[in-house]
Amino acid sequence: MTRFVLASFCIIAAFPPAATAQQPAAPTHSVQGAVRVVDVRGRAIEVTTGVGMALRVVRLQVPAAVRVTAAGAALSLTQLAPGDIVRVSYGGTPGGYVVYTIERVGSMATGLEVTP
Amino acid sequence: MRAWCVGLALAVVLAACRRPPRPGEPLRGLSAAERARFDSGRVAFESVFTPGTGLGPLFNADGCAECHEEPVAGGAGDEIERHAAAFHATPPAGTRPCDELVALGGPVFQQRVTPALRAAVGIDSEPVPPEATAIAGRSSPDIFGFGLLDAVPDSEILARADPDDRDRDGISGRPNRFFDGRLGRFGRKALVPTLREFNDGATTIEQGVTNPVAPDEGTFGGRPFPPGTDPTPDPELSREAIDLVDFFVRLLAPPAAQRLSREARRGRDAFASIGCATCHVPLLHTGDSPIRALQHREVAAYTDLLLHDMGPDLGDICFANATPSEFRTEPLMGVRLMTRFLHDGRATTLEQAIELHNGEAARARDRFRTLTAEERAALVAFLKTL
Repeated sequence: MTRFVLASFCIIAAFPPAATAQQPAAPTHSVQGAVRVVDVRGRAIEVTTGVGMALRVVRLQVPAAVRVTAAGAALSLTQLAPGDIVRVSYGGTPGGYVVYTIERVGSMATGLEVTP
Repeated sequence: MRAWCVGLALAVVLAACRRPPRPGEPLRGLSAAERARFDSGRVAFESVFTPGTGLGPLFNADGCAECHEEPVAGGAGDEIERHAAAFHATPPAGTRPCDELVALGGPVFQQRVTPALRAAVGIDSEPVPPEATAIAGRSSPDIFGFGLLDAVPDSEILARADPDDRDRDGISGRPNRFFDGRLGRFGRKALVPTLREFNDGATTIEQGVTNPVAPDEGTFGGRPFPPGTDPTPDPELSREAIDLVDFFVRLLAPPAAQRLSREARRGRDAFASIGCATCHVPLLHTGDSPIRALQHREVAAYTDLLLHDMGPDLGDICFANATPSEFRTEPLMGVRLMTRFLHDGRATTLEQAIELHNGEAARARDRFRTLTAEERAALVAFLKTL
C-alpha cells in the first residue's frame, strides 16, 4: 500500500496537473508567419500573420518537449530569431495557444527555403 | 432597304462590342454567368454597412465604394488613411528592424469609431501608440485592372528584380514578402501577395466587417474591444458576399489607353528615353487563370511591382522588408482619372509627382528637368492618355 501511494505521488509529481493542462488535445490550428519575438525564458514565441492588411500577432507557448526543426534538423528555441518564417501547428488551451510543432521554412530577408 | 438597315444595326452592335471598356466596366470576354456575377459583385461592393450590420467598432469607411468611388465604383477616393510603424535601422536585440505595431493595433489606425465605442472609451479614432516612429498618409487608388495584376506570374516580377544593382543602372528593385514568405505585390509597399487576400482583409481592416476568411475583429490599440461595442456576431459578412466583392474587383477592366496624339507620341518616347519606363514597365503579361478573360493577356500596367528607394523626403513607414523610403512602383494605368498623386496624395499635378521622385528615380527626374517645356508637356500629355 505504501509502495502504491509512493508510486502515485511520483507519477503526480512527474506530471503535475498544470503541465497536463498546458497540452492541447490536438493541433487544431496551423499558421505560417514571421517570428516577431522569441521569449526563451518564458518559452514562447510571437508570430506575425494575417490576411491582406488585416494583420495579427499570435502568441504561442512552446513546451520543452516540442521539437523545433529546419530542413529536418533539430534546432533549439534560442536558434529561432525575429524575421524567421515558421510553420507552426498548435492547439488552444484555457491558458492560451500551445505549440505542437515548429518548422523554420525561411526568413523574411531571403524568402522561403521550403515549399509549403 | 431592309438588308441595309440590318447591316447598319449589325455594324453598330459590332462597334459597341469592340469599344474598349469604360471605367467601372468589366473586362471583355466574360461569359453570361461571369457578367451576371460581376454585376452582383458591384451591388455587394456598393453595400453600405451600419453598426447593426457589422460596421466597426473601428473603421475607415462604411463600404468599399466610399473610398473607391471616382468616377465610378472601383475608382479612386479623396480619403487619406493613417498607417504607422516603428523602424529601427539598428534594431534592439531580439527584434526586426520593422515593427508594424500589429500588437498595438497597427499598421492601419482607423480614423472613425462607432457610437458604442465612442461612448465606451471616449475616442474618435484609434490612437497611434508612442512606439510609432512614423505616421504615413495613404490615399485610395483606383483598383481598375487589379485582377490582371494578380494574374501576372511571380516569375515575371522576380525576373526584373536587381536588388544589388548588378547591371549598374542605378535602379535596384527588390521584392517585398508577406510574413509567410510569399512574394508581395499589392499595397503601396507591395506587402500583400494576392488580390483575394487584399480584398478579404480590407473589409475587416477598413470597415470593421469580419468575414469567414478574416474573422478576427482585431483590437483597439492592442486591447480587446469593451463588451457591448461589437454586438454583431462574427463573421459579419458571408462567404458568398465576400466572394462577390472579390469577383467584381478582379474583373474590373483597366481604363483603356486613349489614342495618342502626335504630342503624346513624343511624350511616350521621352518617357522611355529619360528612364521612367525602367520601373514603370509599360507591359506585363498574365499567366494561367481559371477566368478566361484574365488568361495570357498583356497589361499596360506601367509598373514592375517591385520596391524602389524613392529617397528620404517621400519616406514614411517601413512594412515587412520595405524600408521607410522604399515604395512599390505605382501602376500608371488609369492615372488620367486621378486628381492626386503619390502614395499620400501630396502631389496635385503629374509634374509635381515627377518632381518629387528621388532616390533611384533621381536620374530620371533630373533628365525630366533637362527636357524643354514642350517635351515635358508632351510627356505629361502621354501620361494623360493612360
